Amino acid sequence: MNNQPFSSRVHLPILIVSAIVLLVVVPVLHGTGVISDYTLGNWGKYLCYGILAISIDLLWGYTGLLCLGQALFFTLGGYMMGMYLVRMAGGTELPTFLTMVGRTEWPSFFLPFSSFPFAVLMMVLVPGLLAYVFGFLAFRSRIKGVYFSILTQALTYGAALLFFRNELLMGGNNGFTNFDTMLGFSLRDVSTKRGLYIATAILLVAVVTLCKWLTGSRFGLIQRAIRDSENRVLFSGYATANFKLFVFVISAIIASFAGALFVPQVGIINPSEMETSKSLEAVVWVALGGRGTIVGPVLGAVSVNALKSWASTGATADFWPLILGASFVLVVLFMPKGIFGIPGQIRGLMAWLERRKQREEPSPPSRKPDNSPTPAAIDP
Amino acid sequence: MLKSIITSLSRRLSTCLMIGLVGLSAGFAQAQEKSVKETIAAATVATTSDEQRELVLTLKLKPTPEAVTWLEKWKAGEIFLHDDGNGVITPVTLTGAEGQDGSFATLKLIDGTPYLAADGKPIVINPKEVEAAETDSGLRRAMKEVSDLVALADPDLAKRLRAIKDSAIGQKLEKLPALQQLRATEKDPDAIHALDESIAIIQLRSTVPAERIAACKKIAEIHSLTAYDTVKTILAEAEKAQDKPMIAAAGEALRSIEGHISRINAVGTAFRGLSLGSVLLVVAIGLAITFGLMGVINMAHGEFIAVGAYTTYVIQNFFADGLKLSPFGVSMSIPGLHLAGGANTYFVFALPASFLIAALVGIALERSVIQFLYKRPLESLLATWGVSLVMQQVLKFIFGSNNVQVSSPAWLSGSWTVNDVLFGWNRVFVIGFAVLIIVITWLVLNKTSLGLLIRAVMQNRNMAACMGVRTERVNTMTFAFGCGLAGLAGAFLSQMANVGPSMGQLYIVDSFMTVVVGGVGNILGTVISALGIGMSDQTFQQYLGNPVLGKILVLGAIILFLQWRPAGLFVTRSRSLD
Repeated sequence: MNNQPFSSRVHLPILIVSAIVLLVVVPVLHGTGVISDYTLGNWGKYLCYGILAISIDLLWGYTGLLCLGQALFFTLGGYMMGMYLVRMAGGTELPTFLTMVGRTEWPSFFLPFSSFPFAVLMMVLVPGLLAYVFGFLAFRSRIKGVYFSILTQALTYGAALLFFRNELLMGGNNGFTNFDTMLGFSLRDVSTKRGLYIATAILLVAVVTLCKWLTGSRFGLIQRAIRDSENRVLFSGYATANFKLFVFVISAIIASFAGALFVPQVGIINPSEMETSKSLEAVVWVALGGRGTIVGPVLGAVSVNALKSWASTGATADFWPLILGASFVLVVLFMPKGIFGIPGQIRGLMAWLERRKQREEPSPPSRKPDNSPTPAAIDP
Repeated sequence: MLKSIITSLSRRLSTCLMIGLVGLSAGFAQAQEKSVKETIAAATVATTSDEQRELVLTLKLKPTPEAVTWLEKWKAGEIFLHDDGNGVITPVTLTGAEGQDGSFATLKLIDGTPYLAADGKPIVINPKEVEAAETDSGLRRAMKEVSDLVALADPDLAKRLRAIKDSAIGQKLEKLPALQQLRATEKDPDAIHALDESIAIIQLRSTVPAERIAACKKIAEIHSLTAYDTVKTILAEAEKAQDKPMIAAAGEALRSIEGHISRINAVGTAFRGLSLGSVLLVVAIGLAITFGLMGVINMAHGEFIAVGAYTTYVIQNFFADGLKLSPFGVSMSIPGLHLAGGANTYFVFALPASFLIAALVGIALERSVIQFLYKRPLESLLATWGVSLVMQQVLKFIFGSNNVQVSSPAWLSGSWTVNDVLFGWNRVFVIGFAVLIIVITWLVLNKTSLGLLIRAVMQNRNMAACMGVRTERVNTMTFAFGCGLAGLAGAFLSQMANVGPSMGQLYIVDSFMTVVVGGVGNILGTVISALGIGMSDQTFQQYLGNPVLGKILVLGAIILFLQWRPAGLFVTRSRSLD
């Protein structure tokens, strides 16, 4: 199996151009009124999902750990931001989710969230610690493959059950909403929205750069080696559990930041974001875009979600799950490397056709018969 | 106004006359010889309410349902007091059809014969003009006493039990003699138990200290749940009064009841745990085949459950009035057989049908998707999730996105109480069903040639292929078997849970956990883990009093358990690495 993904041919200039488009061109177009507020808001959302997709890919595409709990880390980050935002909203008045359960004042764990740096710290610490503890337990006992997926799914399921309870004082199934200001800017202002979009784009570019660097380093090499044959790496003297734990924590924190930027842009956070299907949906983006690449998942996330916003309104709404489900089956069956694998697949197909053509021609006697005209090049 | 005064005066007069006429005195001895109707007739015309009450109370000596019927009529104002103008008042009831001016013919209460005037003409009265016999609260209490007593002697056991249990309310000492009398003649053990309970509870208020202590002892002996609050009050009073022996006796009774309660809770929890475990088992057993034996992560497992449930729904309607569906805009209708008693028998046919339909869908899925993914388990997870989305949507298209109504056969409702523990029939049925499914699975895997092939292929695919086993076909059959079991689970869940297009999502996490904890590739492991998870879930729930926290704790416990046994309860030993 080719460890080097087909997509390594995406050239740096293309990446730089896309980064400039996302970071500069889109905000400028929005400022001049070419792009509507609605579209900009949507793109902010897509980019958050793109970051979430990268965090999944870092685990699944590069380390071979299919985590079905990334939506949990995403939502946790969102809740940390949500706690900051509800502290900012409504002044001295208590939000209804607290008065509803008979509270007359803020629970103590809410108080420090009036400080933004504290909230950011928590965005790192809460998902990071959870990932650390869970990952430590899971990797220590060498839970891997499918078991890891099922356990992370169960973890998410349990957390969702917990967050649906009003007694947790996190808003129950309504979650947090009615946000007002962030860092002193009104969330209703167009300029704040643009600022949030730019922040998301910067984070995306930063995460892409970080992951490019990480996966290109010696660390990335070990990561991929673990994916392909963990035992060999283990027997070569590497503590694979620690490597996996590190990647797991990093990806949890990346997902958490994506969630934190997601919340002020959509204006609500509730536990339905951490339902098990959400994690699976995010995995679809990665698979569709092309796992084992950094840009592929972003492409997958953006294209699937753009398609979803287009298809899930109006007459086609009922067909959206059909389209999503069916396309997923097709991708898994026929495009194991996603959109980013298509050029490689086409090249493989061409090469195979070429070889067949050559074989049909009278070959020189010195040439050995090619006995591998299998479609393996298409479907490795 | 004037008229009423005159009537009331004349009634008093006439009553005196009446008493003289019938030769009645309020003496009980004489009253005993009179018929029920005579007593009631006398009571309706008695002058004072004390007198009326005493007369009514004489009915207690011979409690008959007839007395209750007439007393009820009295209370309802259906007995009228006819004044013949000479001061003679006769209690009568209305009969026949309403006359032109709203009047009715009458019957004499005393013997039920038509009430005739001296000249032989029937007397008609208008109920709006003639006074009805009235009752006051004291009188109604007396009537209640009589009817209570009659209920105590009711030949219907259920009614009698209720009357006995009700008699303890209020701890009226005057009810004791009747209860004790009944206790001497009662034969039914349940009724005897209830009588002992009621007598003891009433005796807690006895004026004799020894009797109170004896009552406490009796309550301790039969650990009556009904007496719990009363005993608590008695204990508090005894403590206030520094009544040492009473404190000891009441404390003893209270401890005995509390012990009984905790025993009931323990048995109830164990039973509920067993039935929850059985549900998990039924739901997970199909997955134990497809995931455990074959290694296919079938995320569409829940949708196969839904397929089974919907098949049950269709069969139910097929047996009754038929069903109209409009999938994808095409309207189709399934004719109904209109079978009498179909509601009770359809389920027997629905079980095999849902197995078959789910198995057929399983074959289609295996041939079209799964067979290409045997070497890529993680990708089978993703592809089958896509399949589950598609299946949910297709079910929505066919049956609509709302839940559909599946009725349970009558023999699944009701319950059975043993020693204060409630055993619901449907829970008992769950356990039986789980046992049945395990037996079927075990038989198929161990006693049929298909089972032999399945085991051979799962243990060593290449070797089996070398021996001439058509492994592809065995894979298909195995997958279909697993899906069929999921369909069976669906048929069964349709009896106790909602049937909707996304019902399968509720069970998917639980089923995977059950199989993982049990150890992949081992049916026995799945059985033990299902029961274990069910039991611990109910136990946590019992102690925390909160189902959600209980579930979260169970999930936590499972993660910790896998620390200890990463490959589940039963490990399939192998020398190969990965």
